[in-house]
Amino acid sequence: MGEAAITTAIATDPAVELTGITKRFPGVIANRDVRLSVAKGHIHAIVGENGAGKSTLMKILYGMQRPDEGEIRINGSAVSFHTPGDAIGAGIGMVHQHFMLADNLTVLENVILGSEPRKGGLAIDFGAARKKIRELSDAYGLGVEPDALVEELGVGDRQRVEILKVLYRGARILILDEPTAVLVPHEVDELFDNLRVLVREGLTILFISHKLDEVLKVADAITVIRRGTTVASVEPSGVTARKLAELMVGSELPSPETRESTVTDVVTLEVSGLTMVAPGHGPVPKGTSAEQLKADGVRLLLEDISFTIHKGEVLGIAGVEGNGQAELVEAIMGMRSITAGTISLGGADITAWSTLKRREGGIGFIPEDRHRHGLLLEAPLWENRILGHQTREPNVKGVWIDRAGARKDTQRIVDEYDVRTPGIDVDAAALSGGNQQKLIVGREMSGEPVLLIASHPTRGVDVGAQAAIWDHLRNARAAGLAVLLISADLDELIGLSDSLKVILRGRIVADVDPGAVTPEQLGSAMTGAGEDT
Amino acid sequence: MQVKQLSSVQGRRASCVRDRLDGGDTEGEYTLLRNRVSKLAAATAAGAMLMAAAACGGSDAKDETSASASSAAPEAKAKAKVGLAYDIGGRGDQSFNDAAAAGLDKAKGEFGLETKELETAPGETDAQKEERLRLLASSGFNPVIAVGFAYSASVKKVAAEFPDVKFAIIDDADATGPNVSNLVFAEEQGSFLVGAAAALKSKKGNVGFVGGVEVPLIQKFEAGFVAGAKAVKSDIKIQTKYLSQPPDFTGFNDPAKGKTAAQGMYDGGADVVYQAAGGSGGGVFEAAKAAGAMAIGVDSDQAKTADAAVADVIITSMLKKIDVAVYDFLKNFTSGSVKAGESRYDLKAGGVDFSTTGGKIDDIKAQLDEYKQKIVNGEITVPTTP
Amino acid sequence: MSAFMERLTGRVKLDGVFAIVAPVLAVVFAGLVTSVVLLIAGNSPADAFTTLLDQGSTPRIIVLILNTSAAYYLSAVAVAIGFRMNLFNIGVDGQYRLAALLAAAVGGAGLLPGVLNSLLVVLVAVLVGALWASIAGLLKVTRGVSEVISTIMLNAIATGLTGWLLTADRLGVLSGNAIGTTPIPEDAHAPGWALIPGTPMQVNSFLIVAIIVGVGYAVLLNRTRFGFNLRATGRSEPAAVASGVDVKRMVISAMVISGAVAGLVGMPELLGGSFQYSLNFPAGLGFTGIAIALLGRNNAVGMAVGALLWAFLDSSSNALQILDISKELVDIMKGVIVLSVIIAYELVHRYRTVAAQRRVSRELAAPAEVEGAAV
Repeated sequence: MGEAAITTAIATDPAVELTGITKRFPGVIANRDVRLSVAKGHIHAIVGENGAGKSTLMKILYGMQRPDEGEIRINGSAVSFHTPGDAIGAGIGMVHQHFMLADNLTVLENVILGSEPRKGGLAIDFGAARKKIRELSDAYGLGVEPDALVEELGVGDRQRVEILKVLYRGARILILDEPTAVLVPHEVDELFDNLRVLVREGLTILFISHKLDEVLKVADAITVIRRGTTVASVEPSGVTARKLAELMVGSELPSPETRESTVTDVVTLEVSGLTMVAPGHGPVPKGTSAEQLKADGVRLLLEDISFTIHKGEVLGIAGVEGNGQAELVEAIMGMRSITAGTISLGGADITAWSTLKRREGGIGFIPEDRHRHGLLLEAPLWENRILGHQTREPNVKGVWIDRAGARKDTQRIVDEYDVRTPGIDVDAAALSGGNQQKLIVGREMSGEPVLLIASHPTRGVDVGAQAAIWDHLRNARAAGLAVLLISADLDELIGLSDSLKVILRGRIVADVDPGAVTPEQLGSAMTGAGEDT
Repeated sequence: MQVKQLSSVQGRRASCVRDRLDGGDTEGEYTLLRNRVSKLAAATAAGAMLMAAAACGGSDAKDETSASASSAAPEAKAKAKVGLAYDIGGRGDQSFNDAAAAGLDKAKGEFGLETKELETAPGETDAQKEERLRLLASSGFNPVIAVGFAYSASVKKVAAEFPDVKFAIIDDADATGPNVSNLVFAEEQGSFLVGAAAALKSKKGNVGFVGGVEVPLIQKFEAGFVAGAKAVKSDIKIQTKYLSQPPDFTGFNDPAKGKTAAQGMYDGGADVVYQAAGGSGGGVFEAAKAAGAMAIGVDSDQAKTADAAVADVIITSMLKKIDVAVYDFLKNFTSGSVKAGESRYDLKAGGVDFSTTGGKIDDIKAQLDEYKQKIVNGEITVPTTP
Repeated sequence: MSAFMERLTGRVKLDGVFAIVAPVLAVVFAGLVTSVVLLIAGNSPADAFTTLLDQGSTPRIIVLILNTSAAYYLSAVAVAIGFRMNLFNIGVDGQYRLAALLAAAVGGAGLLPGVLNSLLVVLVAVLVGALWASIAGLLKVTRGVSEVISTIMLNAIATGLTGWLLTADRLGVLSGNAIGTTPIPEDAHAPGWALIPGTPMQVNSFLIVAIIVGVGYAVLLNRTRFGFNLRATGRSEPAAVASGVDVKRMVISAMVISGAVAGLVGMPELLGGSFQYSLNFPAGLGFTGIAIALLGRNNAVGMAVGALLWAFLDSSSNALQILDISKELVDIMKGVIVLSVIIAYELVHRYRTVAAQRRVSRELAAPAEVEGAAV
């Protein structure tokens, strides 16, 4: 795909037109000379790797950030947004990746929250609101029931509530930020049906994604962003997923596939009967069996989970988020106490060990949320190198921090793992997501771990970093590392894992052969449809 | 402001000081925290302080300057420069700082003195108190008066450094020296008499004592009061309550606490309550008014000085004449007859007494005078600790 | 904890020249505001500041400032240890008062001769302070009680307890209207030296103790594993937990160390000034420490400057009253200084962010051009 493929917008009457948008942050240029033209009544997809600058661009369009340079035109007239309120006023609505709903309120209450219709100046006019919500829901085929409690709704329904929320505020241009990230395949299809109805009714949709199959399925036009700038605008009929991906990456596409098996018969991690009760049940005697607890009506976060990981094996855990993956990881790391079960590492029972001792025993940990659990954002890289290894060489000498040792080893990680940074005295916050993650991977691979827990290791990183991280995982596996891989990226799971288990509502519900399964089959197993396989 | 004796300037000053110090809060600890933290950090508080200072500081400075200028005019001869260091609360505390200030004002008017009053801040070390006295003495102020026993160690030390300067200290006999006059009071004797009055006037045989802060000085009031009441009626019921514990001195400046404590006593069957709680006393009177009961004032004749709305509940007051002591000391100084050592202001010397304003105790005055005579001639020795 | 609070409590560093520019700007600004206040009140700012400086530069006031700042500094360090891991130890006040009372009682008993007695006094104070603070730590880790609430409550309890203990039938000895513990024998007094020429007044040895504690604080936090864990917990508790830090143990340890240092706060006065705990014993130093810790952004040197500034203002304020300027002016100055320091740090932080942004843009501009050409 060369310069010829870049066509200026086909639109006759652009709903949104961006020219020369540039936005800088300390340490990065998030957007540089972005040009975008979105036709009215189109689903316009913005694709790009994570970290390419899609989200910043949408924040600019939604008034959450102000561009340093450039012009925004809505329906032909130039605008300048200072707050999201300005954007809403101009008819722009945003559906965030993470839902912003209050669980304990009804759909109606959530929708009107912040823009309540008033009756006689004071009282909230619920009747009018309910009527309007019904109308919108029917007009756009959303099927939302205004009086349902949000906490009782599924993910897809919640997303429709979010969409309704922005429609309620009069939005004619919708921004959907990675709307499919939290959905399972059949919910994705439902969403796309909804979107088609919306554009048929004259709305314009900006659809941000990095899932190319989906984009090709739903979009009327596609703009590709790479390294903060728009590199191509194409029509879906004219490209394949692979070409689109190459545009995004600017080079050949990496593949997560693992070639030959390195699994040995030496057991590294053995988890058996792992059970964890939900908080709020009061004290439960340690060691009570899962059946007993269930019989007593106690809600379990993890129920009788058993598996083994061998030296040189990658065990993947598939599942819709929130089905116990985080709890499982924290249990193995010793960050949460368990009710029953044992965990042993290399034959030693580590059930009663502290997190520190487990780490010293050779468990490396790539946490799901690197900002919360993996890094000290306001600390320099070399201090972040110490984190999690604060009892080990080369970071410490006795009770003292060995600054020179830690700095030297940080430099080693920066070099070996290609962490792109001006230096090791930069705060971790200044690095891009991919470089932060590479630093974490490098750190967790130091000190020769025997087990690596990798929770969404490539979430939110660019394709280059993703490929590098996959390579590191494969190499470590070949060298005998056992890996517990948790991911929402089904390709990643299938491609990297030697064996796969599906977790649903805290239970392992299926064993899957990664060599034979398709992402669709895995997706349905994750929602319980394949429970009997 | 409940104290009417204060001149308008002092009254305004008093309210400013009070606003700045406690902002009307009831919780001592909370107040302390608020004063310390939010005053420093919160913009609103800082803004309020600026305004307070603009209002208070400005008017103070001008009024004091003009006052000293007008009093200075008729005097031709060299005036004595009097330095006075207050205890916490300073001028406007409605308690003994004000009493000392009243004596100073009276002497100033009569003898044409030049005066300088320095205030203290809570949480000072002895070294900082010493420095205050040292500053006065080295700036040419002579005599120097220290209000309150808190200055005991500092007076002792600084007086030795300045042998040519005369020092006076109120409520303390420990700081002795050839140039130190100790002005002390027999609070227990006066309290004995009002204790007897309370017992005589009580119909229920149940009286109460509200102390400001539980320190030995205030315990002397309690001891005398209890002894006096029991002297009249040996099986009388006496309720005792202190409003705060040192180093929390808010008990001297918290009418709400005083009111609560006194209310409890009236509810518990008392019909006369004696307050030795400084600025908190107003609350005790309010509680008495509400309960339709009687109260006894302290330090000054509070039937005259308290808020008119509650003055009628005050049957008598225990007079502790700090103003007289300060005035006497300055008078002796101007006439060159200051003597070092202890000047004890007791019943005999007229330094403590009870008041009869309002005629509420006229019926028992004879009996009280009898007790007074017995104390003066030594027949009765009043205890100083409870 | 918002980013603003983090900057406020110093967990975000300002490096190089900014660390100096911000507070200097703040003090200058505070001077301006105070001048306006003085003008409104009808006083001459020039006179006031000249008097403050004149007074503050007399030898005996310099000694007073040095001795006072020792206690202020210890208090600030005690507060800062908590601040660095997001613990707000409001209870330094109660901790040092209770510690000073019990230590004074032990010292007054004269169980040991001479310098051994002084050491015993200090040891008792440190232990009592640590124990009292550990209550708040235990409540936090076992019952989840916010340390802000529990330390405020413990302050009130300490007040009640010291009041109860300081009576004639317990630890107190009545002398006139004052009550205090038995004075500590002279041979156990902390030594001092007449270091400042022009006055016989002595600089107390606790100034050295304060300096040692300050150095110890800096080393502990920046150079040890424990300090690393403490700072990590303060910056991000989830990250610290994931890295294997036992946060509960850190809470207890930090409170205990904070309390131990708090125990020292009363020592300069006890062993170098009053030699007994009496009604006169200074209260409220714990709150002074909070202001100074904020002012110095928990930095060992910054807090030292703050403590000296505070001591200077407190010790020179009497002179203002001689000029008929209300001593509350000093309170106003203190308030404005803290406020403007906070604002100055914020402004400098923003300036620095913009500067960094420009620098990065410049550095990234070159490769961007190349790439742009390829498209």
